[in-house]
Amino acid sequence: MIGLTQTLHRFEEAVGERHLLTATAAVASYAVDGQPPVAVAFPGSADEVAALLRLAVEGRLSVLVRGAGSHLCLGAPPKPIGLLLALTRLNGIVAYDAEDLTVTAQAGMSLATLQKTVGAHRQMLPFDPPGSDSATLGGIVSTNLTGPMRMRYGAPRDLVIGMRVALSTGEVIKTGGRTVKNVAGYDLGKVFIGSLGSAGVILEITARLTPRPEAEAVLCAALSPKEAAEAAAWLVGSRLEPTSCEIINHVAAQRLRAVLPVTAEAGRQVILIGVSGERVTLERQERDVRERIANCARLDGDDARGVWLRARGLTGASGKSALIRASVPVSSVPAMMEAACALDGWMTVGRAGDGLVLASAPPEQELAATLRGLTSLRARSVALGGHAVLESGPVDLKREFAVWGEVPNADLMRQLKQSYDPADVLGCGRFVV
Amino acid sequence: MLDRKLLKSLERVVGRQYVLTQPADLLVYSYDSSTARGMPDAVVLPASTREVSAVLKLCSQHQIPFVARGAGTNLSGGAAPVHGGLVVGVSRMSKVLSIDAANQIAVVQPGVVNLQFQAMVAPHGLQFCPDPASQKVSTVGGNVAENAGGPHCLKYGVTVNHILGLTVVMPSGEVRQFGSTALDPPGYDLVGLFVGSEGTFGIATEITLKLRPLPEGTQVVVGIFDTLEASGRAVSTIIGQGIVAAALEIMDRSTMEAVEASFPSGLPTDAEAFLLIELDGLKEVLDARAERCAQICREAGARTVEIGKAPADRERLWAARKSAFGATARLSPAMLVNDATVPRTRIPEVVRQMQEIERKHRVRIAKVFHAGDGNLHSNILYDRAHPEEMERAKAASVDIFHLCASVGGTITGEHGVGSEKPEYMSLIYSPDDLAAQRKLKRLFDPAGLANPGKVLPAETETTMAGAHA
Repeated sequence: MIGLTQTLHRFEEAVGERHLLTATAAVASYAVDGQPPVAVAFPGSADEVAALLRLAVEGRLSVLVRGAGSHLCLGAPPKPIGLLLALTRLNGIVAYDAEDLTVTAQAGMSLATLQKTVGAHRQMLPFDPPGSDSATLGGIVSTNLTGPMRMRYGAPRDLVIGMRVALSTGEVIKTGGRTVKNVAGYDLGKVFIGSLGSAGVILEITARLTPRPEAEAVLCAALSPKEAAEAAAWLVGSRLEPTSCEIINHVAAQRLRAVLPVTAEAGRQVILIGVSGERVTLERQERDVRERIANCARLDGDDARGVWLRARGLTGASGKSALIRASVPVSSVPAMMEAACALDGWMTVGRAGDGLVLASAPPEQELAATLRGLTSLRARSVALGGHAVLESGPVDLKREFAVWGEVPNADLMRQLKQSYDPADVLGCGRFVV
Repeated sequence: MLDRKLLKSLERVVGRQYVLTQPADLLVYSYDSSTARGMPDAVVLPASTREVSAVLKLCSQHQIPFVARGAGTNLSGGAAPVHGGLVVGVSRMSKVLSIDAANQIAVVQPGVVNLQFQAMVAPHGLQFCPDPASQKVSTVGGNVAENAGGPHCLKYGVTVNHILGLTVVMPSGEVRQFGSTALDPPGYDLVGLFVGSEGTFGIATEITLKLRPLPEGTQVVVGIFDTLEASGRAVSTIIGQGIVAAALEIMDRSTMEAVEASFPSGLPTDAEAFLLIELDGLKEVLDARAERCAQICREAGARTVEIGKAPADRERLWAARKSAFGATARLSPAMLVNDATVPRTRIPEVVRQMQEIERKHRVRIAKVFHAGDGNLHSNILYDRAHPEEMERAKAASVDIFHLCASVGGTITGEHGVGSEKPEYMSLIYSPDDLAAQRKLKRLFDPAGLANPGKVLPAETETTMAGAHA
């Protein structure tokens, strides 16, 4: 048995003194759900990550991976955290040739930095996670979180074509490759996408890019819930290829009032329709939308982008107020919205094209009331054929309310986790098993 | 040969007429559309999830391997029972269970034929995006097993991007539900892992799939080139300029000759390359995009460029393209199908080197490319009657694998590894990578009964020893 002092010393040898924090005051600011790690390491290479993992296993210290730290409040409250692996030093482009329309970058690179690089070639990585673009690629892929653009472009699960991953058994492996089509072998990458670092540490990501649209705009209008539901159903079934379609309640609209040209009083909703492409495409999309929804306001360019950025901010995890994500068949979004809007003061965002409804309890709401709200929303989502996951909330709440809800095939998932992380050091129990 | 008691048990499960054991019957299930062969011990044709489960339980009890089979259009040996055992045909499970237009979801059994299904959802203004060239006969179950692509996956993604849920009979016979009708079910992505597992993780007996609105309009642009390389250059430029095409397909002269010999479609057999560009979307934008593509083709040195307006043109050209595989079979008694895929910028140089491989091994290669994806089908023609010719064809195929791996590509873009390519997996994956993949196989199929001999290379003695240590 290797003692803690010795393990910390070995960590230090692996990454260098400058890249390891162990002092109580220093690690306190890296706490997850109020729980500080024993040590925080900032590895500078894949080899260093692999070495740290080996040492953690030998020293029996659990490991949590951190990118920008914006969504560590996801998942169940962590068990004691031994080593926090902060990947922000792994932040370079590995390969990028614009005509391939793919990019390979290290996991610690922020989405904002990557967008700048590929944006110079009028391309973009169509990730728009909750919160902001300071999120890292590794974080976005590990959470598989999505934003308004998913309707058009899909989720990280659909866009990631290859990865390099460090396993707790010491190997650094490759999944997939750099071609957009690839069926050579099992699609191992799916083990690591969206599994909160519970099976391996994502080091490098290759993803499909998309051309940046020539123009983009947001069309928005305040409507009754019934009108909003009908408009969304029409748009989702149409051939207009919109980028996004969100319905937000008056609480959310109020929070966006600085950037929105429309307001909604209690009981009404705002529909936000994202359109993009060549200018002629936009004109046509706008014409059709206006035929359907009278009194649409239109925002262009930076104003349009500003709305989405702020709207994503609404659904970012804070760890303070509860945020639940319900997932239902798309036609049930209005029913799910109705359930959320019935809760006094709750902010609600519905993604009409994806069947996702995010609802957040009012800040300062009593725990018992929040719990009742969450319980009713989860029950509603299940009745509608879906499920609901608590994305963030105070740790006391997470102890009371099962973060993941019922998880089918938990036995198989437990075996999967054991296959890749037999020492059970990764993830600190935040993921489903 | 299976013992009589097992055969009786199988008959009790599926009915006597659905257990085939006559040599003539077994022969037709002994191969698929690849060169792989293997005689099954018996063929069973179950009609329900319950029957599949009972059949696999018997396999498990008797330690008999099984191979699921849809229409048998597999191009890598995936449906061939190379280790014998039972073939489980899903042809009797061919019902569309529901089409939910409001939710853009359908639930189907695995034996549903892709194109017939497309015809059922089209009146709702919807489509199922995967469109492999075999779609006239290939099944949705097979599409799921192989993570099938097709020309239009350039814009719409491959099968895994369109599957929401699966009812899976595990190799033990246990029935599980993966995924649902809602996105992002909590936990590991079991649907994503199962799709593309080539029948080695179990049998999907119900498939919940995502549909998408049909595009409002389509338009084709055709470029005729005197060199294959120039057509490849045009493709790179189209992608580099940010034009989103629905499909970018190239046929070479050999393929055009084959198509013309079987299905005269007016292809220019005196040219070296035929580039078919399909654009889709709102009708207002198609003309401008088509003109930009035409201009790029001209600048890349196209001999002629044509913008096809009439739907009949589109149908004729696609019929020609999708018949390429079958037609090529007329050029020679046999062919090796290579499906290597490369990053898109490497297409021109790979095409040049492929032509050198042709010369070096004195083989004829009919090339037909999903060029927009970098997916290069090179069909190497040979005659089985001349073993020496077959050896040269094999050598050429191996050279192409090496070539594509060396430029950062992969050994298969959509056909699967099957029984034909496991030995080449090490060109792109390290022993550690393969060991990590093998863990998945052990998870789903610890007894190793589901489609043995496929996907992963046989374990070397040392790793076997390691596993048992």
